[in-house]
Amino acid sequence: MYSIETKSLSKIYENGLRAVDDVSIKVDNGEIFGFLGPNGAGKSTTIMILTTLLKPTLGTAHVAGYDVVLQAKKVREMIGYVQQDSTVDEYLTGRENLELQARLNHIQKDLVKSRIDEILNLVELSDRQHDSVNAYSGGMRKRLDIAGGLLHRPKVLFLDEPTLGLDIQTRYKIWEYIKKIHKEYDMSIFLTTHYMEEADRLCDNISIIDRGKIKVTNSPASLKNALGNDVIVFEIDSDTKLESLISEIQKIQLVKDIKTNGEEVTVFSTNGNQVMPKIFELSLKVGIKIESISLTKPTLDDVFLSYTGKELRDENGGYNNKKEREKMRRLRA
Amino acid sequence: MIISDTYTIFWREMKRYRKSRSGVLIRLIQPAIWIIVIGNTFAGTQPLIKSVGYDLSYIEFMTPGVIILTAIFTSIFGGVNTLWDRRYGFMNKALTSPISRSSIALGKMLAISLVSALQASLILGIALAIGVNFVNPLMFIPIMLIVILFSLGFSGISVVVAATAKSQETFWGIVNFLGMPLFMLSPALFPLELVPDWLAVVAKLNPVTYSVLLIRGMMTGTTQAVSVVLDLAVISGFVIIMVALASYVFTREVNKPF
Repeated sequence: MYSIETKSLSKIYENGLRAVDDVSIKVDNGEIFGFLGPNGAGKSTTIMILTTLLKPTLGTAHVAGYDVVLQAKKVREMIGYVQQDSTVDEYLTGRENLELQARLNHIQKDLVKSRIDEILNLVELSDRQHDSVNAYSGGMRKRLDIAGGLLHRPKVLFLDEPTLGLDIQTRYKIWEYIKKIHKEYDMSIFLTTHYMEEADRLCDNISIIDRGKIKVTNSPASLKNALGNDVIVFEIDSDTKLESLISEIQKIQLVKDIKTNGEEVTVFSTNGNQVMPKIFELSLKVGIKIESISLTKPTLDDVFLSYTGKELRDENGGYNNKKEREKMRRLRA
Repeated sequence: MIISDTYTIFWREMKRYRKSRSGVLIRLIQPAIWIIVIGNTFAGTQPLIKSVGYDLSYIEFMTPGVIILTAIFTSIFGGVNTLWDRRYGFMNKALTSPISRSSIALGKMLAISLVSALQASLILGIALAIGVNFVNPLMFIPIMLIVILFSLGFSGISVVVAATAKSQETFWGIVNFLGMPLFMLSPALFPLELVPDWLAVVAKLNPVTYSVLLIRGMMTGTTQAVSVVLDLAVISGFVIIMVALASYVFTREVNKPF
């Protein structure tokens, strides 16, 4: 039995937008599975279907063996859900928030105290437990959110963008906690992220999702290996003869894939040190001047680029992203 | 299970209320102005009121009305945090936990009703402080129980509106539209015996009327068993309908995405 299994899951909104399009995934027990994609790719919609908040338009989904539509109540007993935005009660103290969480999840009365003590210890909030959440930093709130999702020891934990908007140190800290809880409680974790590094560090397997569709599913290592072990990026002075250069480079046996972005060309290959001189030769032949060139190891960013033809920026802020997110929020309404 | 789940939500709402006490005093200002300003403005209508059998000063006559005014507005506004909860994720947290949907609505309504009674008791205190006569102080507890019961019905209206409305603007628009007429179309400020027939007929269809009459009777010690039974029956019927409607509408609406 898989802890999550979806078959041809689709969500089509009233305006015809396919937020989730024919998504089929299998997550093993005890696995950390990542959904990686840009804002508006359908990650949150998928999580909302799996946590029984939205009904799928087509297809089926099972969580911990139960159907999310037909056995929603059973599913709710099995899952923990840490939402993208903080959901802790501002006016309550950290401990009161967890007491509320314990009641919501029907934790046996005699276990509540010890569970809360334990989890506060785990996320290192014991010394601030009696402060009202008003006084917590963003990172502390997130830790409290995660603690709340874990308190009842769910079989499957959903983390929606667990480190969105947090600074680098806090992000590392949260990753540590996620690894720690995964080891300690042996639960399956389904997380969505648009941070490559996050997926790379935490996940056993990832699906790359773009515009509601899954582009590829595999372990981060295999995805990177599939691109060869090297990435060559070079810039040229003009793109007039670019096409002939690219078709020449494609003929090199070691090259696996080429993507262009304006005057920047990315070549995925094995044995890049042998490919680089050949690129120089070919550019001379075609008559294109190479302005700069670099040889690096592939990251998941490169994987993303190779599967979607787009770059996934490792940041959240931008105006357009925000607008996009607001739009998705409204669509869900 | 539904009882303990309801208590969970009630517990959370009361915790939140306790920590935001600054609002309590602000919410008292308006009903206090009603008592002091309207109470004195219409002091001269005392002979009229007396002519239909109320041997009271005008302020004494309208104090039960202002208690109900406080209850109406505290409870009809009280459901607004449902909108916040949906916007800021608490609702999703509750909806993905195993507690039942109706208990979320009921817990909120109970908390609102208790808060409403607390506010009403403070208003009663103000009224006593400015010299309103309260025949039998032992009636305080039954009066507050009636305020709680009555508020349960009105908080049901609030929860229904909040669950259906997608925005704050819609919510405030609707509750203000409902609250004031329901208050006005009752003997809260003036005896029904002295208003035009058609107004009196409309007022008799309004549950607010029966609450005002009941509390007025209890405060002045003029209650009669027959009218108590009738008043209580009407109020209880209203509350039962609102509780059922609120849990039905709430459950239906929260299953739609916000």
